[in-house]
Amino acid sequence: MGIEIKNQEIENQMRELARNLLNEKKVDVIIGYAKGTVPLSSAPIMITNEEDIDKLIWNNLCYINLAKYLVPRIPQLIDPEGNNLKVGIVSKGCVGRALIHLAVEKQINLDDIKIIGIPCNGIINRKKVEKEIDEKEILEVSASGNDIVVKGKDFEQKFPFDEYINELCKVCKVKSPPTDASISEACVGECQEISNLEDDFADLAEFEAKSSKEKWDYIKDLLKTCTRCYACREACPMCYCNLCFVDQNKPIWFGKTTELSDIIVFHLIRAMHLAGRCVACGACSSVCPMGIDLNLITRKLEKMVKERFDFTSGIDSETLPPMMSFNMDDEQEFMLEED
Amino acid sequence: MDQKILMKNEIGKLYIELAEEYNFYAPVKEKGNIVFKKILNPDDIVLEYFNSKVPPKEVLFPEMEVLFEYSLDGKDVEIQDRQDLDEKNVIFGIRPCDAHGFALMATFFTAHGDCEDEIFMKKRANTILMGIGCNEPKSTCFCTSLGGHPFQKDDLDVMLTDLGEKYLVETISEKGKTFIQKLKWLADAKKKDVQQAQELSKKSEESFVTKLDLTDIDKILDPNFEHPIWKEISDICISCGTCSYLCPTCTCFDVIDETDEYNNRGRRIRIWDTCQSCLYTLHTSGHNPRNSCIERCRNRIMHKFSYYPKNYDQIGCVGCGRCVQLCPVNNDIRAILTKIKNIEKEEEISA
Repeated sequence: MGIEIKNQEIENQMRELARNLLNEKKVDVIIGYAKGTVPLSSAPIMITNEEDIDKLIWNNLCYINLAKYLVPRIPQLIDPEGNNLKVGIVSKGCVGRALIHLAVEKQINLDDIKIIGIPCNGIINRKKVEKEIDEKEILEVSASGNDIVVKGKDFEQKFPFDEYINELCKVCKVKSPPTDASISEACVGECQEISNLEDDFADLAEFEAKSSKEKWDYIKDLLKTCTRCYACREACPMCYCNLCFVDQNKPIWFGKTTELSDIIVFHLIRAMHLAGRCVACGACSSVCPMGIDLNLITRKLEKMVKERFDFTSGIDSETLPPMMSFNMDDEQEFMLEED
Repeated sequence: MDQKILMKNEIGKLYIELAEEYNFYAPVKEKGNIVFKKILNPDDIVLEYFNSKVPPKEVLFPEMEVLFEYSLDGKDVEIQDRQDLDEKNVIFGIRPCDAHGFALMATFFTAHGDCEDEIFMKKRANTILMGIGCNEPKSTCFCTSLGGHPFQKDDLDVMLTDLGEKYLVETISEKGKTFIQKLKWLADAKKKDVQQAQELSKKSEESFVTKLDLTDIDKILDPNFEHPIWKEISDICISCGTCSYLCPTCTCFDVIDETDEYNNRGRRIRIWDTCQSCLYTLHTSGHNPRNSCIERCRNRIMHKFSYYPKNYDQIGCVGCGRCVQLCPVNNDIRAILTKIKNIEKEEEISA
């Protein structure tokens, strides 16, 4: 079955579920995706009226992690009396993971949320497609069979779907929102029970084979065009701090310039803060206006957390993440001297 | 107005002749993005492009700029001022919309009495804008809705029109005229070149897809400061700085002092800032008058489409479409402006 037919089916089911949730007053608002006004984009949308349900779409350009709209932010999603709105949220696998992890971190209450689960088969790597098209204007992007079809004024080009999706999507094993007994109440639509998540992280082999200097050069080259607009941070469902470390100004904690050392410090410390928390949605890379792909950094962190703590974020709502727990007999190999 | 011809294969020659006296900036491709950079090798210059991803404002108003450096010796302080402000620059290939952006920035940077931004204005005065008209505007371009034009000449010193193998070179300002007269090897343009350029200009104007009616938009904005539409507009905004950092008219910056105590020295720098950041308006007391996306999104629109007309009698947007293309959540300014225009219509209907 072609991608476009699968997407159409998913879209129909999603609209039906959303319509029912609104009709039956199980939710006050639906958060989903709408068609973008420029090719290679999509726009998040908040729907409260049933007549707007048909604005909901699903395709391989729905790159924003909608869980971002549920973390504590101002203005909050509340009714005039100040009560939390009940939210139905269109969830591909990584949105589901983000919701579960946010619940574990006690940032959201899944009782107020209905997860409209949909199976995602990958998000188009916008920057990679744009790079191939170069200085021509893309006017239309669609999926056909197993291809991404890109059209412009005088050209039409096809790209194999499997090759031109985000690197993280290529290795993704959680296509639909994970569910377990404790949160099954929240799930409508397609959610999957996940047991024994095996991952060989083979995609990292090439990077890991590099020497330290090569790795460092790679990171420097990767980040040098950063403008520090913080789109990566603002799109990240796990970046919900009231005041980010890099915004601390009484006193200033970190350099705020676009000198490479300051840029690197921001990105690497932000990555550290996402260890065992990143849900591999790739939104940070999708939104970067300069086309910086941060996926490799977060993927490497995911591997380290998996190896050391046998933990994958956002899979079950019971296990405490490694950065939230400790044991008295934890190894302390990072200590330089013992008493 | 002088009209000359510059062959595309003479760009290298142009560069070599100018690079001695000027810092020569032109579009190059860096990591997949078109950006304006100081050229060291003329082969790097890219001539086939829509527009740069980062506006050429970064040449005169960089993301980060050292204002001065100082060093301490006991009780003596020595301040090292900028030495590079008298250097001459050429920005080759700037688009008319971005050139208009410089005009708006200059208006802003000189509009506050004695507080003229000396650094920007000095650099601006030492810069020649050698623009190229847009034969093929993008579907997201809307300069014509703002009184601009893909071949607008007013803000340029020299205007180039891409005629295929060659450029028609027209001198616009006095500065531009003197500048071009020094390039004695440029051939004179023929009548048919000028004619071709006029046709291209017309064709380009006709090809615009986005047409917005922005008449009196400031008069609609002012009484609707508290309109519920602002919540609707800001619902999906994630408060990043993409729209303002990549805007050719945004001028906000933050000033930071960095000290190197161990070496008795320091520097004062300025970096781009954005009204979309929560920190931008945070008071020392902890109070924040623009605490949510609603106020921040509103400020962006009000500043460009109400405060600018009010203070400087012109709109503070040039219609380059960068924010349209690059907003992470596709919060399209064209759609926002259309919604605002519709407030008026709805009111008329209900009246």
